[in-house]
Amino acid sequence: MPVSGRLPLDGGRLDAALAGGLLLAGCHEIYGPAAPGFALMLALASRRPGPILWISDGHTGGRGEDGRLYGLGIAELGGDPGQLWLVAAGGVLPMLRAAAEAQRCPALAAIVLESHGDARAIDLTVTRRLQLAAAANGLFTLLLRQGSPRPSAALTRWQAVAAATRHLAGGAPGLPRLALSLTRQRGGPSDITNLLEWNRDRRRFVAAGQSAGQLVPIGAAFARRAGQHGAAHPGAGLAAAGQRTAGPIAA
Amino acid sequence: MPLLASERLGPSPPEATRPLVLVASDRGRQIIRAANAAALAEGLEPGLALADARARVPDLAAQAFDPEADQACLEWLARGATRWSPLVRACPPHGLLIDITGCAHLFGGEASLVADAVTRLARLGFSAQPALAATPAAAMALARFGGDHVRDLPVAALTMVDAEQIALRRAGLQRVGDVARLPRAAIAARFGEALLARLDQLLEQAPQPLDPLLPAAPVMAQRRFAQPVADHAAVRVGLEKLLLAVRVKLTAQGLGGRRFCLALYRADGHVAEVAVETAAPQRDVPVLLRLFDERIAALNDPLDPGFGYDQMRLAVPVTAPLDEAQLGLDGGALAETQLTALVDRLTARLGRGRIRRLARADTHIPEQASFDLPFDGGRDHWPTPEPGEPPARPLRLFDPPQPIDVIAEVPDGPPRAFRWRGRRHVVAAHEGPERIAAEWWRRKDGAGLTRDYWRVEDESGRRFWLLRHGQQGSEAAHPRWYVHGLFA
Repeated sequence: MPVSGRLPLDGGRLDAALAGGLLLAGCHEIYGPAAPGFALMLALASRRPGPILWISDGHTGGRGEDGRLYGLGIAELGGDPGQLWLVAAGGVLPMLRAAAEAQRCPALAAIVLESHGDARAIDLTVTRRLQLAAAANGLFTLLLRQGSPRPSAALTRWQAVAAATRHLAGGAPGLPRLALSLTRQRGGPSDITNLLEWNRDRRRFVAAGQSAGQLVPIGAAFARRAGQHGAAHPGAGLAAAGQRTAGPIAA
Repeated sequence: MPLLASERLGPSPPEATRPLVLVASDRGRQIIRAANAAALAEGLEPGLALADARARVPDLAAQAFDPEADQACLEWLARGATRWSPLVRACPPHGLLIDITGCAHLFGGEASLVADAVTRLARLGFSAQPALAATPAAAMALARFGGDHVRDLPVAALTMVDAEQIALRRAGLQRVGDVARLPRAAIAARFGEALLARLDQLLEQAPQPLDPLLPAAPVMAQRRFAQPVADHAAVRVGLEKLLLAVRVKLTAQGLGGRRFCLALYRADGHVAEVAVETAAPQRDVPVLLRLFDERIAALNDPLDPGFGYDQMRLAVPVTAPLDEAQLGLDGGALAETQLTALVDRLTARLGRGRIRRLARADTHIPEQASFDLPFDGGRDHWPTPEPGEPPARPLRLFDPPQPIDVIAEVPDGPPRAFRWRGRRHVVAAHEGPERIAAEWWRRKDGAGLTRDYWRVEDESGRRFWLLRHGQQGSEAAHPRWYVHGLFA
């Protein structure tokens, strides 16, 4: 059952640990190489109206060592690139000031803070402030961090890495999959890992275990090309395993 | 200010009476370029060699002549001079032109404005020779040569060229008035049109536009204080009153400002300038006041009032139509307002161009198809991806692409393994190539290499967008490989 104000992830272990899903009015930390992708997917899955403000501590908006955010790629993940606003704060402190400013604006869908390197300035006090402002104004705040985890007052801490996809016919890489570990949760269970697949068309995550077998039958691949949609509901889809009728999209 | 070069160096009182010359090297000799009042009184004119001057005045002080610093000083003074009129121009080597049309009454008439200017410059240590005239040329000539009437000035005021001056004198023409009495056609025939044009400007018969230091703003307001204010709160109150005055003017014209420039004139001649920009036309006083607060808080060098500001001016150089606002009944308008205000505040805090949006261009070349622009509120149309397909474009793009070493099964085939950032990645799944031809129609030579793109997944699950630049054999003997992007 969806809980209001919470974003369901896998409909399984993670959601159970999170009491129904990720609390939208809060600040969450994400580590790992797939952190930007996970943050963008979360912001899209939250389905809140308004732009996503992506504040980076670099000098050029969203173009760190890992390249720049690419508009067509954002569209390919189901987002509207015009609704992603980039802010190049040019430093950790300006980034935090900009975040404080942005957290007062309820018209935003989400705020993503991207810090590079081992940002020592983001300490317990800073994360506490971010968390309080996020809770007070109901703003979904995501903090992307690098380096080793530091003490933090964020609600949850995640480790996001890319995982092997379910390959399509002809050995092509399939829908994006992430291995997500909930490494810390304030006042709740942690150390839970699950494999999630991003469904762009529905803008939601699907637990990878619930999707059909390892290889897509050729018939299903043709169906995929033809753009057919399955009808199985992911939350209810315990029976989906092994069923060929549940195509990869419906997974 | 004929002595600007020497007075700029700011002599301390005992030094003021000591002769000082500024020298520059000219073909191995030290030549005097400028001198202070004491040196001029001793007869040390510019053009004299330093050695000769030393022979005449043994305790002569000499310093290097620095025309660039003089120019900078003159421009600094010009900024300060905007207190009298917004139309000011620095006139090298040592002149300032101020267009006081319609400004004099603010200072109690032309005479008291001139007196104010001379006093202020004297306080800064500059001796000024003021002159008032209807055209800049006439004013400059009067200031330079002295006198009350242009017709009494020597012909040197007419031309800077020595040969022309000599020619005029040989013709028996000593004063500007003598030249003015001649038939115009004769002057043009003998000395050229340029001299005639200059004569008209001198005699205030031809208009001469002033190219001001700062463009004139369509809307502005200013306040002068009897006592300099040094208190930040008092400055803020002054700013609020200026914003109110500007709002009245903007409302009357149905305009809103896109850029607001605040100039704070310090009693010692320094001018501090703070500007804010807005994403949408704006004239709301509390909003603008807050933007100024943000901007001032973010300044690298905080405002230093020194002995206080005695004048402040708010100019609105950029305006746009803004109709009377009607309160929106739906939430959409409210959200829009909140977002515009957020963009303005972030721009004021972080600076222009720090807020960006993703824009799209109609091209097949990936790195040109999407790029970021300074935020302007525009929206582009983005393609809708094919339902059910995995992403065909990466979330992050490297610009420029990062070169890699690739092992392929067959020379023209898909990659098997590659080395990127010192690590070896074995390809577990791939799709491609997606072939993107060079835009031969844009290039004159029609050349350009074909690009082949592969979506690739390595054994750990990381997904890359690989690029092979050039076709094997036909375009390149050994095509180069790159990582062009990373998928989510």
